[in-house]
Amino acid sequence: MRIVQVKCPSCSSPIYSKQRDQLFYCEKCNVLHTRNGGVEKLDFEIAEFNRSLSGEKVYVPFWRLYCSFIIRSKSVEGGHVFRLMSWMKDEDGSGTLFIYIPAADFDPSAFKNLAIGYTVSSPKYGSRLDFGGARRMPAVMSREEAVELADFVVVTMEAEKPGVLQRLDYSLTVNSSKVVYLPFIMGQSGLKSAL
Amino acid sequence: MADISVGLNCPACGGAVSVVEGESTLLCPYCSSTLFIEGDQGVTTMAFKNRVNRESALKASRLWWSRGWKARDLKRVGRTTEVYPIYLPFWRAMTRVAGWICGYEIRRHTDSKGRVHEQKVPKEVMILNDYRFSEIATDPGDLGIRSLRNFAGETSFADFDMIPTFEATTSKDDALARARSDAQSRARSSAKVSRVTMERLHVLTRRLSMVYYPIWVVRYTYRDRMYMTTVDGVTGQVLSGRAPGDPLFQSLAITAGTSVGGLAAALGIIMSGIAAELMIVGLLAGGVILYITYRFFRHGSEIVEGEFKHKPASVSQTIKELQSAARTLQEAYR
Ligand SMILES: [Zn+2]
Ligand SMILES: [Zn+2]
Repeated sequence: MRIVQVKCPSCSSPIYSKQRDQLFYCEKCNVLHTRNGGVEKLDFEIAEFNRSLSGEKVYVPFWRLYCSFIIRSKSVEGGHVFRLMSWMKDEDGSGTLFIYIPAADFDPSAFKNLAIGYTVSSPKYGSRLDFGGARRMPAVMSREEAVELADFVVVTMEAEKPGVLQRLDYSLTVNSSKVVYLPFIMGQSGLKSAL
Repeated sequence: MADISVGLNCPACGGAVSVVEGESTLLCPYCSSTLFIEGDQGVTTMAFKNRVNRESALKASRLWWSRGWKARDLKRVGRTTEVYPIYLPFWRAMTRVAGWICGYEIRRHTDSKGRVHEQKVPKEVMILNDYRFSEIATDPGDLGIRSLRNFAGETSFADFDMIPTFEATTSKDDALARARSDAQSRARSSAKVSRVTMERLHVLTRRLSMVYYPIWVVRYTYRDRMYMTTVDGVTGQVLSGRAPGDPLFQSLAITAGTSVGGLAAALGIIMSGIAAELMIVGLLAGGVILYITYRFFRHGSEIVEGEFKHKPASVSQTIKELQSAARTLQEAYR
């Protein structure tokens, strides 16, 4: 076991932080990197806050996974609508979609609501270059774990439609990933989207 | 002694830092540098502070003697021979299971005309749950402890020099595999889908750590036989123990058991005039009850609590078995 000081892989500046985070952000050169299985720079985006909202600003990290899927067959007892239909390009049951997996530490139900909410309707935002002094929630989930959970999100979307899901034969491929920091306001009843 | 991550220094400022449980990153409290643990991160190790002393361990143990169907003169006759604390190593893991189990169950109901109808009830169950797992990381011998019950308390290595420590002997990968399969099977049984048509479960490990837990061992004798109890060094509760059973209770239980057994067998013979199968059922049931009672008689001189590998029949277990045997008997005659 060896302890090293975390330095930016781009400009070698040491990373200072007040919280433990799996994602390391260099304020000097705007580079985000991770060290799960080796130092790796990450493609990332920071969304602009909605200026009309006030309150404590928080950025929540998400893994945005660009995925292709092919549905081979599905059986549902009572009711039969594909939700994935809306992303389908072809009649053959294939298509692409963005799956959003919250990377911060959430309890199961908050995790599910955020993942399903943003995957069902992709957030629209203008991006910015820095965090503008807003707090970042630390990431606890690696990309590998996010990829593992993409399947859960897809099956949940299918199962939560009318009818009782009995079988879903499909395959999902993650083509690329990006870290997206989405803006939230910390209210008394928890986080509220600030897009 | 096991590999304990103390005495690490910040490579930037030289300040002493301690590794936080289950994390690969840490922050230097002096220069706020972000630090990363490279290579084999090993396992984060922590120890609970011992909060129990010799007197309170003895007290808890004696209180346990007086509870349940233990020998009534145990408090008077029992002699404590040894009282000492040890640190036992445990693997501790947090896992999250996310997924779906789909399928159906068959419900049967009988209508007014006595016809049986089958109904297929489809089910889709989401699993999204965190599970806690713990397992002893060494051979617990005769202590009757296999998992942690308490997960809260002050952590410190301060007592490590004073309290003998058992070394961890089981592997991290094995523990992790068992934590994952434990979470999966708990998730599966919580879904309660009897006929599964689709199962997609994902298990994420949130934390894996090694916990050293203080445990007091109290050894005592009762009429020349050796017994023991273990006391949780954090909560002060008795975790496991062996004690002599009460002879009066035992003989009552055995008398009851053998009478029921004999009765059942006798009933079988009486019923033989009606049907040969019924006679066999009766004789079999009598035999089962006699066997249960006999097993209790053989081992029943000891009351055992805790997670022992080979547990002799306990009083409550014996009663439960007798009841279920009685039920089977009733159903057979109906
Ligand atoms: Zn940099
Ligand atoms: Zn330092």
